[in-house]
Amino acid sequence: MMSLKPRAVAFDEKWEKIEETVTLVLTLGAIKQKYWNERFSDIYALCVAHPDPLADKLYLETKSLLENHVRDLCVKVSAQQDENLLSEYYKHWLKYSTGAKNLNCLYSYLNNQYVQKTKMTEADIMYGGTHSHDSGDRNVRNCHETTGELGLDIWQRELIIPLQNRLAALLLACIKQDRCNQNTDSPTTTIRGVIFSFIDVNMFKNKSSLELFENVFEKALILETGEFYSSEASAILQECDVSQYMEKVINRLSEEKLRATKFLPPSSHTSVEKEVQTKMIADHLATLHAEAPAMVAQENTRDLGNMYKLLKTVHGGVSVMVKQLQEHIKQKGLQATNNLKGDNVPAQFVESLLKVHQKYMDMIKNLFSNDQQFVGALDKAFESVINHRVTSRNICKSPELLAKYCDSLLKKSTKGLNESEVDDKLAQSITIFKYIDDKDVFQKFYSRHLAKRLIQQQSHSMDSEEAMINKLKQACGYEYTSKLHRMFTDMNISAGHNQKFQEYTSQQKIELGINFSINVLQAGAWPLGQSTLTPFSVPHELEKSVQAFEAFYHKNFSGRKLTWLHHLCQGELKVGFTKRTYLITMSSFQMAMLLVFEKTDSLTCAELQQHTTLNDEQFYKFLQSLIDCKILTASEEVLEKTTVLKLNFDYTNKRTKFKITVASPKETQQEVEHTHTSVDEDRKLYLQAAIVRIMKARKVLQHSLLIQEVISQSRVRFIPQIPMIKKCIEVLIDKQYLERSSSSSDQYSYVA
Amino acid sequence: MSNDIDSTENDGENGIDSQKPEKMFTLKKWNAVAMWSWDVECDTCAICRVQVMDACLRCQGENKQDDCVVIWGECNHSFHNCCMSLWVKQNNRCPLCQQEWSVQRIGI
Repeated sequence: MMSLKPRAVAFDEKWEKIEETVTLVLTLGAIKQKYWNERFSDIYALCVAHPDPLADKLYLETKSLLENHVRDLCVKVSAQQDENLLSEYYKHWLKYSTGAKNLNCLYSYLNNQYVQKTKMTEADIMYGGTHSHDSGDRNVRNCHETTGELGLDIWQRELIIPLQNRLAALLLACIKQDRCNQNTDSPTTTIRGVIFSFIDVNMFKNKSSLELFENVFEKALILETGEFYSSEASAILQECDVSQYMEKVINRLSEEKLRATKFLPPSSHTSVEKEVQTKMIADHLATLHAEAPAMVAQENTRDLGNMYKLLKTVHGGVSVMVKQLQEHIKQKGLQATNNLKGDNVPAQFVESLLKVHQKYMDMIKNLFSNDQQFVGALDKAFESVINHRVTSRNICKSPELLAKYCDSLLKKSTKGLNESEVDDKLAQSITIFKYIDDKDVFQKFYSRHLAKRLIQQQSHSMDSEEAMINKLKQACGYEYTSKLHRMFTDMNISAGHNQKFQEYTSQQKIELGINFSINVLQAGAWPLGQSTLTPFSVPHELEKSVQAFEAFYHKNFSGRKLTWLHHLCQGELKVGFTKRTYLITMSSFQMAMLLVFEKTDSLTCAELQQHTTLNDEQFYKFLQSLIDCKILTASEEVLEKTTVLKLNFDYTNKRTKFKITVASPKETQQEVEHTHTSVDEDRKLYLQAAIVRIMKARKVLQHSLLIQEVISQSRVRFIPQIPMIKKCIEVLIDKQYLERSSSSSDQYSYVA
Repeated sequence: MSNDIDSTENDGENGIDSQKPEKMFTLKKWNAVAMWSWDVECDTCAICRVQVMDACLRCQGENKQDDCVVIWGECNHSFHNCCMSLWVKQNNRCPLCQQEWSVQRIGI
């Protein structure tokens, strides 16, 4: 057991032995455990020597020993011919770096006790203090590094630096050989090992451990990479078209990625890749961009995919493609919706647009990995297709067509589609709906169709109806669908009324004589034009029902009045004057006309009109429908007041149960126009409400800011025209909601 | 109104009913449609300036459209019930005719 007590030591005697062992350590020679332990103790003894510790001297001696060793190695390595230089360097580096690590263990007492103590603190580094010089402890002032660090430092200084140019040049030559698919002069492990030695030699340094690597090798590598790929790019372009060029570049890039993992530290991977991209893509952007229009036009998927892969690496590189694609989709969309003919234009319109949409969605997903820029281009293209007008005077038909499409899906007549297919198609139509600017126009048409479906009980499924309203609500908010919801709830409430009314009539022992049911609609929620209202004297067969229901209703509600909408009522009339009996569904007006013939076989138009009290327009329209279906005959082709009407006793029909409809295409056209004008009225109200809301919150606001705010608030519904907003502001000033500020002419303030 | 619906229906199927039926037309079914509105003299609530058939702005904002009913005073003027209940806290007179406000009825 050795003594730990400090005592006087003869340095030279100890050092001689240490020197011998250190040399063995550095050359990875065999050292017996006994000697290793002895040297360990010797180092301890020197460090704690009495009266003066000899650590400093030991350190300096070791340092010069290492320096001499490495200088010798440098001479050996540099004497090598180029072809052997890398492998010779690598061989010695492997040995030396392991040796240095072991040496660090042998010197652990010195390293732990002296080096750690004198390591500069953060503060010293910050304020430039050189602690060891000021401390006065001269014995350890040179011990800045552990022996391991010292050894690597010396390697860097005495070997790498003198040989750096030769080493770098040889490494670059090898990498170039690899790029040219030639065998490299040195094996991969050697190349990689030499490159990594530039980093590993600094492994103890926390900061800037890559500095040497960057200066000695990486800078040159990037430069060389740039030159190589620059000339490679020009060479390929000389003999290939852009399509082939792109394939080659993609190959080059993936090869280079592999090469980087083979030879280089992770820190260099991106910089090398960047450089290749710059030289092969960014420098030839114009050439690539020039091909974009043709590729987009031909929808050449392979080329487009390749081009995206290349251009996305360059900042702003894809913008040309994005623009091209946007225009392309727009053209395809317009083509798909141009010149639609036939009966089902709405379905053609929506379904062909959806097809185009799906196609390009798929393209963007498959080729452009759902890049937001392309998705944005698709959206913009569709916005312009769907809101396209031939001229600014024309109205955009999309909202109407889409609403009709939804109507055709939700109507009972839809053949061959089950409920889930209908729901799918409705869900898809929301895709189109989202692009519509004039969502309020859509709502008008939609609510009119919905009203018709609900009142005439034409809905395919109430679940589908409700689901669709909820989808619209999701897209546009509660307010947008509140009237649709209201209509829907009116139907449910009416079902309750019918049930209660039945109980009421049986309790009161009222015999209506007919099967009566009713829908009570809330005024204002339903898009029912007032234009169709006409005087009408209810046939006495119905009077009892009307009176009984009104009595029932007023008993249950207070403050309400009921208006009977006879033009929407329908009845089933059993016709018994013919050979067979028919059950015919018809409107109240038609019923009223036919019921008059109960007492007489022939009447003039004037007489019949007097009985029903209908106005001219409605009277002739409904009368014509009865003549058209041959239940009545008229003495003249063109109906006059004096035309004689008779029941057709020879009436026959294959079907015994059917419905007489009133064909009125002219009215539909009117309705369309009416819808558009009522949209304008609604918009004005909507804008006024928006302005009041904004001004109430802001109190005082500049004209331009107010306009901006109004536009941004209205956008979910429609794109407001600025003149209309201005007009609404004027109206509100007249109504004294707002006033112009006295201080500034383009400012408004809210009048509470 | 006919009470022999069933018998005529049976005859009708054969189509060789030579006798004249008692009734040429029989009403079997009627699906009526009616619209209800508040029985008011003026369509607009003078307090909030919104149509009485629509909910007042406060109720629209709170999604309570269904609860927004109309109230009539003895003077026969009508307003949204919620508008009026706020109004009378400040001034117990009808905003239109300045008569002392007393409730005639509330809509249901």
